[in-house]
Amino acid sequence: MSLNYIIFRNLRKNLKNYYLYVFALIFSVALYFSFVTLQYDPSMDEVAESTKGAAAIGASSVLLIVIVGIFLLYANTIFIKRRSKEIGLFQLIGLTKGRIFGILSAENCILYFGSMVIGILIGFLGSKLILMILFKIIGVDVITKLYFSPMALVQTLIVFAVMYLLIMLMNYTFIRAQSILSLFRVSSTTEQQIKKLSVGQILMGILGIALIGFGYALSARLFSGAALDMQQLMYTMILILFSVILGTYLFYKGSVSFLFNLIRKSKKGYLSINEVLSLSSIMFRMKSNALLLTIITTVSALAIGMLSLSYISYYSAEAQAKESLPEDFSFAQVDVKNRFVAELDHKQIPYEEKHRQPLYIEIDATKVMNDSQSEDRLFSSVLSDSMVDNIDLKPGEVVFMGYGNVIQQLISIQEKGPIVLHGLKQAIDQQLIGTTKQGVLPVYYTQGTPVAVVDESVYAKLAQDLDPKLQKEGATDYYGVHITDSGQEENAYAVFADLKLKAPSFSQIEFRNNQRTSMGLIMFIVGFLGLTFLITSGCILYFKQMNESEEEKSNYTILRKLGFTQGNLLRGIQFKQLFNFGIPLVVGLSHSYFAVKSGWFFFGTELATPTVIVMIVYTLLYSIFGLLSIWYYKRVIKESL
Amino acid sequence: MWILEAKKIHKVYGNKLNKQEVLKGIDLGVSKGEFVGIMGPSGSGKTTLLNVLSSIDRVSQGTIDIEGQEFTGMKEKQLAEFRKHHLGFIFQDYNLLDTLTVKENVLLPLSITSIPKHEAHLKFEQIARELGIYELKDKYPSEISGGQKQRTSAARAFVHDPSIIFADEPTGALDSKSASDLLGKLSDMNSKHQATIIMVTHDPFAASYCSRVIFIRDGQIYTQLNKGDESRQSFFNDIIKTQGVLGGVQP
Repeated sequence: MSLNYIIFRNLRKNLKNYYLYVFALIFSVALYFSFVTLQYDPSMDEVAESTKGAAAIGASSVLLIVIVGIFLLYANTIFIKRRSKEIGLFQLIGLTKGRIFGILSAENCILYFGSMVIGILIGFLGSKLILMILFKIIGVDVITKLYFSPMALVQTLIVFAVMYLLIMLMNYTFIRAQSILSLFRVSSTTEQQIKKLSVGQILMGILGIALIGFGYALSARLFSGAALDMQQLMYTMILILFSVILGTYLFYKGSVSFLFNLIRKSKKGYLSINEVLSLSSIMFRMKSNALLLTIITTVSALAIGMLSLSYISYYSAEAQAKESLPEDFSFAQVDVKNRFVAELDHKQIPYEEKHRQPLYIEIDATKVMNDSQSEDRLFSSVLSDSMVDNIDLKPGEVVFMGYGNVIQQLISIQEKGPIVLHGLKQAIDQQLIGTTKQGVLPVYYTQGTPVAVVDESVYAKLAQDLDPKLQKEGATDYYGVHITDSGQEENAYAVFADLKLKAPSFSQIEFRNNQRTSMGLIMFIVGFLGLTFLITSGCILYFKQMNESEEEKSNYTILRKLGFTQGNLLRGIQFKQLFNFGIPLVVGLSHSYFAVKSGWFFFGTELATPTVIVMIVYTLLYSIFGLLSIWYYKRVIKESL
Repeated sequence: MWILEAKKIHKVYGNKLNKQEVLKGIDLGVSKGEFVGIMGPSGSGKTTLLNVLSSIDRVSQGTIDIEGQEFTGMKEKQLAEFRKHHLGFIFQDYNLLDTLTVKENVLLPLSITSIPKHEAHLKFEQIARELGIYELKDKYPSEISGGQKQRTSAARAFVHDPSIIFADEPTGALDSKSASDLLGKLSDMNSKHQATIIMVTHDPFAASYCSRVIFIRDGQIYTQLNKGDESRQSFFNDIIKTQGVLGGVQP
């Protein structure tokens, strides 16, 4: 039996055991390669022009390397530990450490570079698909074709060769540091000595939950409470991050054991098979994996949160465009508007014109603001009800329009109550009778504050009594053009784009497209990073479970001898995996939910649908790994007797 | 009337080309309340015999029934069901689950039966007090001694009132004090509760606690010794003598 034979045998055996590792490796290479190809692809130039796409992709490819690198190194530590007995045996029969290192290197080399070739091939074929998805999302019409970039190939080869060297270095130090005896012991020492729960752990458990709760509570008030300045905001955010992450760590370190122990105590020693397999095992293991689980949870939360936010933004691009630009086209100067309208007439596109003249005044709204500390008056623009469709107010009534999501968080106003409009000399008492999200003026005019709509007579009175300091240069007239035939909107936009009109002039379609393009690209990149992280963290949990199942194999032997069937055990395992995979997922989802909730209104108009869609997709993909691990357990249980 | 009856059992390992017959037609009957020891040199097939008698391994030929229920032809699921209700086990290496406390370990076999909870707690208290482990009930296996572990394992074997208890070298990992302690407890349980025990051992001292010892050599029953009214000391001497003839290792 030659050394080559041993290498070959090991390789075959390993392939069977580590198919997921090989899969993850192939996947990482493929993803990385297609990402880098994208960066060099000439058809990206168009996207790059408008959004600096190549730079964004380049930056995220660095992040991708970091994720993949951590994953590969971590996976390697698990696998080398699993093989420590084999390494010890080789040493026992007289192979030198150098020789063993040679075997391992050769083996890894074949495995690693074999996967790389496959990965690059898949990446090459996949890059077109990815590019097609990207263009579809951001709405660019370019025909994509297969593009092979030698630069991308070289870059991928270099990155993964460095990774390979790192892994080899790790293996080398591992072999060097271990004696034969310790090698035999590595796999037999369980991760965790089983001891009773100490008071310290109970405190830690309670503290963990408290910290997470504190962080959530802070995040909920982040933007809605008293207005914070930039620096305070940053400190609060850091405090939230710190308390939630530390809380998560302590949660795994103590709370899980603590809660499970409470459940166990209540059973008074009479445990069902499900509880035997799940509670007792998780209680002890989660503690020792606390750091790993914290990292997995935090980054999952990050991925889900960012995906949700970018999807919210993408999803509500249209609604947001409508909210911030009330009509299809908006102009501040009459001659610019007239040029556009003339062109529309020429093209025979039907339209309606709106003309609004905002007045700028100050409003004393302290009586209707929920938590106002400041005595400051609210800067606001005023319109007459005759300038706004579908509204007819009596003198003395005011409606706030354009009271959108963001402004709702910053200034919280009751639906009804007395307010005072201040002109230069006189003050007019009015009654607020309602608020609405519907916008009537672009942000350019309102500066983000709600627009007060008043009766025509009051408007006239205010117009006589204006404070000249508050009036804005050139922003006193708003001309809106509404295209009555919605099928013609795109044509009208083409006209708008062709004319290259002088600013300030805005188009709803342009706003929406810009939003979609930039958010689409961000969503795409975040999506792929999220997917990579999902797969790597799923793999890590799966490897952990693979190890755990083998360490607990003797338990299954005992239980089966006692008369538990394979079905009994498998049900218990399913229950256990529900926790093992479920707890990090639920904690991650809950973190991201609170993160998204605290600031989503800056990104769009719709919270529920996009967030729920992202969460469901993430959960489904994630559960694949839970199912795979159950499948592995099934095999171990079957072999245990 | 036998509680366990084995007829012409054969056990063959390996495939057609490379056969090894470990059990070569063993007939065996055990009556209720007996404490039977199985002895024999290494490789004689005593552990294999215990495994097939206890349904953990299957026979190649022959039949075994316990309390009139023949189980050699049963399916895996039925076998598990059968073990659950009729059999108890004590192993050389205790086989306790590290993650469970003493009490949880002992109550494990009851958790699959439909015994009411309070009854289970009473049962535990009774058995644990008899075996002297009641005070340890909230400790984990890593916190107690080998002898205590083995008594826990014994308590687990007795807790669901099985028809037969199989013990595989129960004293193998214990010092002599803990060993005689455990054997004393086992024979107490045997006489008090009429529990049937079948024990594999290579230790003549352990075997001397039995009421009958069966000697196996090369997969066949070589001879049997009945204790009858003899004192344990003289039974011990008989066992040593027979073991000498058998070619076993002299103590």
